[in-house]
Amino acid sequence: MPLDYPIVEHTLPNGLKVVVSPDHTIPVVTVNLWVGVGSRHEEPGHTGFAHLFEHLMFQGSAQVAKGEHFESLLAVGGRLNATTWFDRTNYFETVPTPALELALWLEADRHGHLLAAVNQTNLDNQRDVVKEEKRERYDNAPYGTALIDIYATLFPSGHPYHHPTIGSMDDLDAASLDDVHAFFRRYYGADNTVMALVGDVDPEQALGLVERHFADLRPLGEPPRPPGPQLDPLTEPATLVREDTVPNDRVHLAWRLPVDRARDHDAAALALDAVAGLSMSPATVDLVRQRQSVTHLHSSVLALVDGASIGLVVLDVAPGEDPVAVEDQFCAVLEAFLQAGPGEALLEAVRAQSERSWLSALAAGDERADLIAQSTLLHGDPALVNTRVDSLRGVSADEITQAARRWLQPGSRASVTYRRTEDR
Amino acid sequence: MRTRPIVDPAPPAWTFPGCEVTALDSGLRLVLVDLPGQHVLSIRTIVPMNLVDEPADTEGIFTVMSRVLDEGTASHSPTEFAELVERAGIALGAGVSDGGLSVDMDVPSGYAAAALDLLTELLSEPVFPGAEVRRAVAARLTEIDHADAHASSRAAKEFLATAVDPSHRASRPTGGERAGVRAVTSDALRREHARRVGPRGATVVIAGHLAGTDVASLASRALQRWRADGQVSPTPWRPPPSAPTAGRIVLVDRPGSVQAEIHVGWPGPDRHVDGGWAPYPAAAWLLAGSPGARVDAVLREEKGYTYGIRGAYRSRRRGGHVVVAGAVRGDVAVESLGLLHGILDRSADGFTDAEVASAVDFLSRTAPGRYATADTVADEVAALALHDLPWDFTSAYLAAVTRLDAEAVSAAHRRWLAPGMAARTSIVVGDAADLEPALRRRAQEAATRLDVVRSRPA
Repeated sequence: MPLDYPIVEHTLPNGLKVVVSPDHTIPVVTVNLWVGVGSRHEEPGHTGFAHLFEHLMFQGSAQVAKGEHFESLLAVGGRLNATTWFDRTNYFETVPTPALELALWLEADRHGHLLAAVNQTNLDNQRDVVKEEKRERYDNAPYGTALIDIYATLFPSGHPYHHPTIGSMDDLDAASLDDVHAFFRRYYGADNTVMALVGDVDPEQALGLVERHFADLRPLGEPPRPPGPQLDPLTEPATLVREDTVPNDRVHLAWRLPVDRARDHDAAALALDAVAGLSMSPATVDLVRQRQSVTHLHSSVLALVDGASIGLVVLDVAPGEDPVAVEDQFCAVLEAFLQAGPGEALLEAVRAQSERSWLSALAAGDERADLIAQSTLLHGDPALVNTRVDSLRGVSADEITQAARRWLQPGSRASVTYRRTEDR
Repeated sequence: MRTRPIVDPAPPAWTFPGCEVTALDSGLRLVLVDLPGQHVLSIRTIVPMNLVDEPADTEGIFTVMSRVLDEGTASHSPTEFAELVERAGIALGAGVSDGGLSVDMDVPSGYAAAALDLLTELLSEPVFPGAEVRRAVAARLTEIDHADAHASSRAAKEFLATAVDPSHRASRPTGGERAGVRAVTSDALRREHARRVGPRGATVVIAGHLAGTDVASLASRALQRWRADGQVSPTPWRPPPSAPTAGRIVLVDRPGSVQAEIHVGWPGPDRHVDGGWAPYPAAAWLLAGSPGARVDAVLREEKGYTYGIRGAYRSRRRGGHVVVAGAVRGDVAVESLGLLHGILDRSADGFTDAEVASAVDFLSRTAPGRYATADTVADEVAALALHDLPWDFTSAYLAAVTRLDAEAVSAAHRRWLAPGMAARTSIVVGDAADLEPALRRRAQEAATRLDVVRSRPA
């Protein structure tokens, strides 16, 4: 299915890239800003900073009071939030068309003039909130810290993906107001930001509004450091075992994959999906259906830009089964897949599933805006939304097999096992 | 820097998408919603089933059934069926809630015919192979372990066990507990399937870009084959009655917890309530929905005790609960519980004009964006079938929201608000060694009782 979402690009003199994609189906517009700073940019001793900063962006700016950003957009029918990830921080809202200019004004005020409002009280309060976020999502949840262990096992100390976005609470405790100011000046600038506007807008009018509110944002001048070189797969398995009060043994397996948009990234991702992502995948059939040594199997790919993406498989070990044996069973299935590659039916299913998943993502204007901002900021390719499905469909069985043999060897896995201790 | 722009207050020219409803002679209702440009179709099937009709010794059997409908049919083995589903790009899911069985499919429009054939097959001719049933039972048992290990789901389960009278099925988890789930067999599933899963009273919703494909004919042709001569009507639904233990504080010991999960609730209305449903989502939004809501304004933004507390009026098919829940730092858990109940007490004084205006604008003006895709529209229409509501409910509700004022929202909230801490059930999941003494004092002050649950549930 050829897709033809309209894409209008414009770059302001200060370097802000704007991509407008009109869609008049419903009377709303999504504003989505991607700032080129994530946890991959954080220095040792300053982890968790990009994320803490995201919280501070809701605490007021030069002309906006604490909480007012949320309140004033919600009150006109906006839905909004922000997230932090390894490669970027994004800020987004979907608003009724008449509220577009208000959204742009609010974003311009915080993206250009945040520091006027940051104070010690806000910093202390949001540091406490972030600590509760970490306790809730990581420390107090079964397996909540598994991803942190996986990153640390898969990547060497000092690598940008060695630590998670939530960061270290000691580092956050040490953060001062001066650090906050320095962080803003270093990373928040027009030429390190991309804005996607998707929805009920006329591109010319929308760009006029963006010019009006964002033209005075300062550029960084000096861009953040570029991504590092591609990491090779691990040369031998890296293993971590934890005893924990979890409901069942769980094995997490992870691989370093090619960075997003690298030639064999898609092939490696489709390979992982083929081997472990579907009901008809060989790992599901063998471990979940036949042996029943695994109660639940999940695979996913985190597409990243700085030296590696991450391929992840999670195996919930059935009661009475040995997690080491389960891991061996998975590796045997993987080994067989590397030999034979995907058969025709599996290939057809993987393609059909990835195609439907992409079409579903693009069906919503807010998600489309996020994907446009992503492809523009990280890959300089705003029209990716129109070409993605075809390029996925163009990956051959042979490319999938070759990519799997290069990147998904059992011997290249990082393995993190949470073993259940009997009593809490 | 520019000055703040003024927003045109005119509401958007938008209405909830219209439903075209036809009835098949089998008693199945087919609901089509045309959404131009939505090329992934969302197909939602609802079969009304009342959990009280589960045999007492196999509670959870409806949930297990929902998970094995596609694991082997008279025409295909489990792996053959999975292959047919996945090669057609179909995302398939099924589950059970208070209102019945849901089977959800998302499918690229070009595969609509295949999806409807497979849907008919899994609804009408599942065979429940023994190996697949054992696997689904084992998976559900694991799921129970996980639900008990997570503080939030553990709290939700304890809330229903404490607040709802044990004579009502709603006091126990929808998916059943260990003993009932373990007793589920292929034979029992076949028996229940024959009695419960039929087209009479069921609804199939198809939302998406329908022009150019005669989806109505495809659907009727496929679904006409779904027959169930032995189908019996579900027992009429009734609201869950309160338990004698409602209003207590229950501390669930979770040693080593670095936070405490707080879960407070009391009986609430369902969407059929006299006076209309419109005020309730607005009240919940103002109390504990919006980031600036009354609870988070204190517990998150002023105190920094939580990442966020959320509340809702939760409607069942009949009856419901008002629930406010979230995680707080362990050493301020008892203080937080007191602050929360204080905010709830003061909500009896009502909401201001400005608060209600902001809730009305949020709820009504976000609707076009919230219902922009085939899946969100199909989910909403399916929810109407699950809750036994008319097809124009959503548009009438959204229109009613725009007419709300402070008086209406305050009065509706007051009507259901349970007066005082001892009238509301409070669950705290955390480390009892740290929490118990202070919580016991708090219970005495509030003239209610503290129960402590120490062991893992059997």
